[in-house]
Amino acid sequence: MSKFTEKIAAFTERHPTLYRCVVTGENVFKKAIFGCQDCGQCVLSYNAFVCCMRCPKQMRNGPCGGTRPDGHCEVYPNRHCIWWLINKRAKWMRRQAKLRKYHVPVDRRLEHTSAWMNMFAGRILPIDLSRELHEVELPKREPPPKR
Amino acid sequence: MVSGSRLERLLRQGEFVVCGEMSPPQGADKASILKKCEYFRGYVDAVNLTDNQTAIVRMSSVMSSVFVIEGGCEPVMQMTCRDRNRLAQQSDLLGAYAAGIRNVLCLTGDYQSFGNHPEAKGVFDLDSVQLIHAVADMNAGKFMSGEEIKPPPAFFIGGAANPFAEPLDLRIIRLGKKIAAGCHFIQTQPVFDWPRFEKWMSLVRDEGLDQQVFILVGVMPVRSVKALTYMRDEVPGMSIAEEYIKRMESAQDPKEEGVKICVELIKRLRETPGVKGVHIMPVMWESITPRLVEEAGLLPRPEPITIEEPAEPEPAETTKDA
Repeated sequence: MSKFTEKIAAFTERHPTLYRCVVTGENVFKKAIFGCQDCGQCVLSYNAFVCCMRCPKQMRNGPCGGTRPDGHCEVYPNRHCIWWLINKRAKWMRRQAKLRKYHVPVDRRLEHTSAWMNMFAGRILPIDLSRELHEVELPKREPPPKR
Repeated sequence: MVSGSRLERLLRQGEFVVCGEMSPPQGADKASILKKCEYFRGYVDAVNLTDNQTAIVRMSSVMSSVFVIEGGCEPVMQMTCRDRNRLAQQSDLLGAYAAGIRNVLCLTGDYQSFGNHPEAKGVFDLDSVQLIHAVADMNAGKFMSGEEIKPPPAFFIGGAANPFAEPLDLRIIRLGKKIAAGCHFIQTQPVFDWPRFEKWMSLVRDEGLDQQVFILVGVMPVRSVKALTYMRDEVPGMSIAEEYIKRMESAQDPKEEGVKICVELIKRLRETPGVKGVHIMPVMWESITPRLVEEAGLLPRPEPITIEEPAEPEPAETTKDA
């Protein structure tokens, strides 16, 4: 992101109360709409706006081998496989090219932090609304300070 | 050549390879592994050692692979993401390489609730694509942290693919991802639904993925019709054609029929373009492997021609000069 957003992120992270407000606001919004799991490194824009962290195995790079013929999950037979949903939605939104993106392992330090602020600070992939896949290099940055 | 393992050399030589599969014992028992090696030595090119398959506790795949080397076979060590985080995975891989293990199959792993410790915590720190990427990084001399490994391992890296689970188009994307991450060979779930397999294989060929990776297709000998119906109803992501269930039902001797079906499938796979070998997974019926290999006309197993040492990492001096 830009120098300006980095400043916003740095300012927010210096003020614990403000930061908590941002996290709460983000959670209320994202949990209600996307079933956010609070991983702090959002890849929604790559996965047709379905949260892949809802998968019991937290698969970030595609489905495991256990999807049932009706598209249900092997662990919870009454739920849909998240990747089946992602694929269905991606086809409908014509965003299937985005699914080819390789996602790096989850940085567990960022769990329960604000993905928006992490994005502003340039720690995680920025939101990408285009339908094509552009490879983005992640800048190497320090994790957020402990609160 | 990456690792110089027997499996890799045969595949690069263009041979149709045969892999077996062994479940490590549910006890502190080395002798049973050495005994099972008899069924594989000279009949298959490498043996898969499962890593707590279906989340049931067994001897570790690293140690059983070491015993398999002692028994005179080449192991393909399976490694799942269910039981270990990235630290344990990397340290196990270093130990495995030092013990002479050259092939590793990276899997996500069955969910813990299917096994005998359903109350356990699943780790799933990485997923299988990320694990493949991590092993490829280790081959290149780097830990996941970016720190240098001295000396680095050189694994022949495998991944799994399931042609039978939904959604099919996403499976092809995922296979492409695994190849891009650094996968050298692919082993699939057992085929019991030929039309579906053909469809998957043609999509793989259309994308040109069969040119970038060695595809070994799974086959499974079954002993009874119950095994088939169990897989159809209880094992998610499996597809069993009615044809085979009917054949097993009407057979006088279901065991013989199971062998016949399996041999037929192997012969058919040999003719299929893009398939570089078979992976025989006789679940708890390892003793049938020699017969299957013989009846499918895959004996004697070829010996790799070039006996090369694994590629030495470049000496540090030359890199400095460059």
